[in-house]
This record gives sequence, structure tokens and C-alpha cells, in this order.
Amino acid sequence: MSSETTERVLEARGLQKTFKSRQALAGIDLSLPRACVYGLLGPNGAGKSTLIRTLCGLLRPDSGEVHILGWRVPNVRIQSQIGYMPQEIALYDDLTVMQNLLFFGELYDLPRSQARERARDLLDFVRLADREKERVGALSGGMKRRVSLVASLLHKPRLLFLDEPTAGIDPRLRRTLWEHFARLAEEDTTVFVTTHLIEDAVHCHLIGFLSRGSLLAQGSPDELLTRTDQSDLESAFIALQEKEEGR
Amino acid sequence: MKSLAVSKNVLRRILQDRRTLFLIVLLPLLFVLLYGYSFSGTPHGLRILVVNQDNGLASVRTAEVGRITLEVNLAERFIEGLDRDLFLVERDDKPDGAMEHLGKDGIWVVAVFPQNFSHAVLNEAVRAAGERTIEYQGRTVRLVPTETVEGPRATLGLDDSNPILRSAILEEFRTVLTEVLATQQRILSAEDILSVEPLYQGEVRTLDYTAPGIIGFAMTLITVMLTAISIVRERTGGTLTRLLIAPIHPWQVTAGYTMAFASVSLFQVGELFLVSAWLFDIRIVGNPAAIALTVVLFAVGLQGIATLISTLARNEFQAMQFLLFLLIPSLMVSGVFWPLEVMPPGVRSLALVSPLTYANNALRGVMIKGLEIPGIALELAVLSGFAVLMFTFSVISMRRQGYTA
Repeated sequence: MSSETTERVLEARGLQKTFKSRQALAGIDLSLPRACVYGLLGPNGAGKSTLIRTLCGLLRPDSGEVHILGWRVPNVRIQSQIGYMPQEIALYDDLTVMQNLLFFGELYDLPRSQARERARDLLDFVRLADREKERVGALSGGMKRRVSLVASLLHKPRLLFLDEPTAGIDPRLRRTLWEHFARLAEEDTTVFVTTHLIEDAVHCHLIGFLSRGSLLAQGSPDELLTRTDQSDLESAFIALQEKEEGR
Repeated sequence: MKSLAVSKNVLRRILQDRRTLFLIVLLPLLFVLLYGYSFSGTPHGLRILVVNQDNGLASVRTAEVGRITLEVNLAERFIEGLDRDLFLVERDDKPDGAMEHLGKDGIWVVAVFPQNFSHAVLNEAVRAAGERTIEYQGRTVRLVPTETVEGPRATLGLDDSNPILRSAILEEFRTVLTEVLATQQRILSAEDILSVEPLYQGEVRTLDYTAPGIIGFAMTLITVMLTAISIVRERTGGTLTRLLIAPIHPWQVTAGYTMAFASVSLFQVGELFLVSAWLFDIRIVGNPAAIALTVVLFAVGLQGIATLISTLARNEFQAMQFLLFLLIPSLMVSGVFWPLEVMPPGVRSLALVSPLTYANNALRGVMIKGLEIPGIALELAVLSGFAVLMFTFSVISMRRQGYTA
């Protein structure tokens, strides 16, 4: 994390969202410092995607509000400052890697030459420099995921939302991705990652445990272990969940 | 029986998908009901403008008392004999310029009866049949043929843009004229005293009549299908989310789609026209710019319909079914095959809300009648309204897709 951690990149207060009779978010408060990797952990169906979509303005909360870089979401000024990598690959299979990236670059008003240069740097960063002319449909799942990450980074977002970026990929690639995220944080990008894999938590500066739409606890991995008096994060999560259910 | 297991599984999935089930049950019903109601009617309510100058008098020569004047009023008898379900008869007393109303304001026929119509018809009948006897002032007299009366015939201006209505109108005229003439002499036929002046040069074939509607239908099918499936794919694949989170307004996304698919539509219509004209000598007498304008406005509106379908459909399969659900009724009721004038009032009011009706009328007006843009102003106005409404709806829907995708 950078030394300017006191600056809040994201603030959310009292977020609630209900789909029909199911409460997806039950009053979430969240605060993210600059240049950190924040991991939102929780089982499938805990409300991670709903929360991430609400934070970046894709979903309107029933109540509560979100501020990003001081502006209330949704706001067009925020859109060029955030990057979002959805759970789906979210690329055009029938276009080449570079055609995809140039198109998304154009949406962010990047001049073509600049977008191409940036795309090449990022493809190099995710070790796909030799694949720029290949059709996305012909790439492996892991490669597609890395191209998807590149598409989210083209415009140098200050806040990057990644929805389950490590789901269904092999351990080696997962480690590579976490290395990427750490480097992004070093370069002053705040990274918000959702994951259902508890082992991912060790890569985060801060984590939040989400269960049934409620944020059970937040803090650094060490803080949460101390607070729950557990030796590993999985036990810490279970302890917090049991405590919540016991209420 | 593994096949049975597969079959049961397919049926179970259909039964559990309420939208698919709804369409499976409703689509055939919709098809057969609209087909039945649309195609079982007979033409009615056609406007006809009648200019009757016939003085109703016929001067004929008799063997006994020389020339006598009879009051026969054949033109009036004919007009009164016209089927009032088929025709809405309107009268005008000025022959000059009456024909100019033809083809405008829904006037299908302008019938002009000259001043000496009765005189000419009666004398012609006597000349053709030879002597005949009639009762005149209490005595029987023999009518004898006279010199040929210079052929004043009833002039029938006919909007022949619709082959089905043209046949119905001519059939009715022949029937009524024959009935009226039968009171005089059967020897004269309707053709002897009727001069038909078609509005358009060259015969309008059924192929020419249906071609504009088929082109509009093909355009609807391809444009809506491509757009709806593209948007559904964008949504299910996640790229729509990526678009909507970028600094691009939903109207810009919609406009991008609209421009792309309007271009595709223009290309396709151009292709259809070229092949139709080349292989089938389809009638295209109007201004290509008027056709292009119609196509673009229609395509913009269709894009909105496609967005509506993509909002309702969870996947490409459902999008295809919704497409059929919209397409089949519009094909049935929009006057593509069967004129609106033939349809029952209920179905006709459905036609009024179908944009294909207006696209069809506009294309037909330009291709068959050679109308310019002012001539299809009403259709273009409706299609413009449709385009603006659907574009606005698309933007709202696109924004909503972002929130719910």
C-alpha cells in the first residue's frame, strides 16, 4: 500500500438491495483506502456480485449511497476512473485480441495509437504479447480471462473492480493474477476483488467477509485472525458466520 | 429407453420455461386466428366518386309515332344498384378535374356518366337487337333502330394498384351494368358501354403488388433477428456490461446499433430490389430516395422492437420465439398479401398499429404508383414517430439492461 492510505477511494453507506423477497444486500458499509487490494470473500450467493455491481453503478440500491473519488455513484465522471472485469469473459469472441482492446480503448477516448501501445504493454504484462492477432474465441479460458483483465486496465483506472477473476482457473495462473493485482496496487490503483476462495485472502491488504448480504467483518487478514482468535482465515470466517447465525 | 429420457428432459425444460410454454401455446392460435380473420373477408368500404351528368332522357324512333322521348335514367339506376357494402358512393357534379381525385384520399374509382348516357345506351341497345316493342302512353309502339349514336360511354377511372380490388371493382360494375341493361336488352354487355381508364401505366401484377410488403417483411425479419440476437449475446456474454460501465451514454450505444443495422437493412433492401428487378421484372417506378428514406425510418423503429425483444428474452432461443410472435401477426395484418380494405374492422385496427402497414404502403406507393416523398408523407410521418418512439424506448431499455444484466 502507498503511504497515502488515508485517502478514501470508495465509501459506501447503508447499501440495501432486495430482489423480489430475497435480500441480497442487508445494509453494507464500506470504506476503501487508496492503492490497496481489497478482497471481498464469501460463498456463492452471498451477494458479492450484487455488491460489486452496486458499487460501480450498474445496479441501483434500494437504499444507501456510494461515493467513488468523492463523487456520488452513478456519475459519468467516475466512469473513466473505474475499471470493471465482470465474471463473464465479456469479450467479442469473433474479434481478435487487439480488435477487442482497441474497441474498448475507443470507448474511453484513447487515441488509437495510444490504445495500441497501452494494449501491447498490458498484453506483455499478462504474458500474452504474442497473441494480439488471434481471435479471442480461439484462446483458452485462462488467456481470455487475462485479456479481459487487460480490457479493464486500458484506460488506467484508479479503482478496479474484479468480479471473481480467479474462479475456475488453475493455481499457477491464479498466482500470476494475484501478482498482477499487487503490482497494480503498487502503481496506485485500488483493486477491489471478489472471490469465494478463502486461500485468495492472503494476497489482499484488506478483506471483508460477506455472508447472506451482510458484511460480517473487515480488516487486514492478521486483524481478523486476532479478532476471531483463529489460526486460519477459513476458521475465522466460519466463526464469524456462526456468530452471526447465533444472533 | 435413453431416447425417452432425452425426450422427457426436453419436454420438462419446455414446461418449466413459462415464456417458451406461453409462446408454444399461443403462437399457433395467433397464426390461425389472424389468418382466418384476415383472409376470409370481402372488400368493403371502397370510396367511389360518381359524376352523373346523364339527363335521363332517351330520344328513340318508333314505327308508329315517330320520335318519342323516354325517361329511363339508366345512369341513376346503375348508381343505385351499386353494392353499398363494397362502395362508399360520393357524388360530384363537376366532371372537370374529377379524375384528379383518383388514387388520392382513398378514392378507388371515379365514374363519369355523360349527359346523353341513357339516350346512347337505349339507342345502341335497339340498334344491336333490332326492333322491339314497348308500352308508350297506353299503346304498344315498336322501337326501330336509328343511326349510330357516337359512343358516349361511362368512363371508369380505376386505381389499379391493387389487383385484388381491381378485380372486385370491375366484377361489381359488370354485374350491375348487366342487371340494368337486362331491363333494356341483354344484347349489350358492360364492356360495350364502359370505358375503363386505369390510373397506372402497365398492368400491376400480383407479384408487383406483394413485392413491397415482402421486402418490408424480409427487412423486419433480418433486422430484428440480427439486432435482438446481438444484444442478447452482448448481455449474456457480459460485453454489454462492459459497454455500459464505460463513459458512453446508453443513447450512444443505441445509436451505434441503429446506424450499423440501418446500414445492413439498406444494403439488404438494395440487394432485394436488384434481384427482384433483374429476375422478376418487379415494378419500381418511383424515386429510390423515397424508398431509402422509408427503409431507414423503418429500420430505426425495428431496432427498437429488437431491443424490446432482447429485454424480454433471457437467451437467443427466447429471442427467436418473441421474434416470431411479433412477425407473424404483422405479416398477416399489414396488407402484404391481402388488402386492408378486405379485412374485418377488428383486424384492420390491428393493421393500423403495425409499422409494417405503413412501410408497406409507402413502398407500394413509390414502387407501384411512382409517388414522391410528399405522396407518402403520412406513412413517413408515422414511421418517423415510430422511429423516435422506439429509439427513445431503446435508450431507456438499454439503460435498464445495464442495471439488470
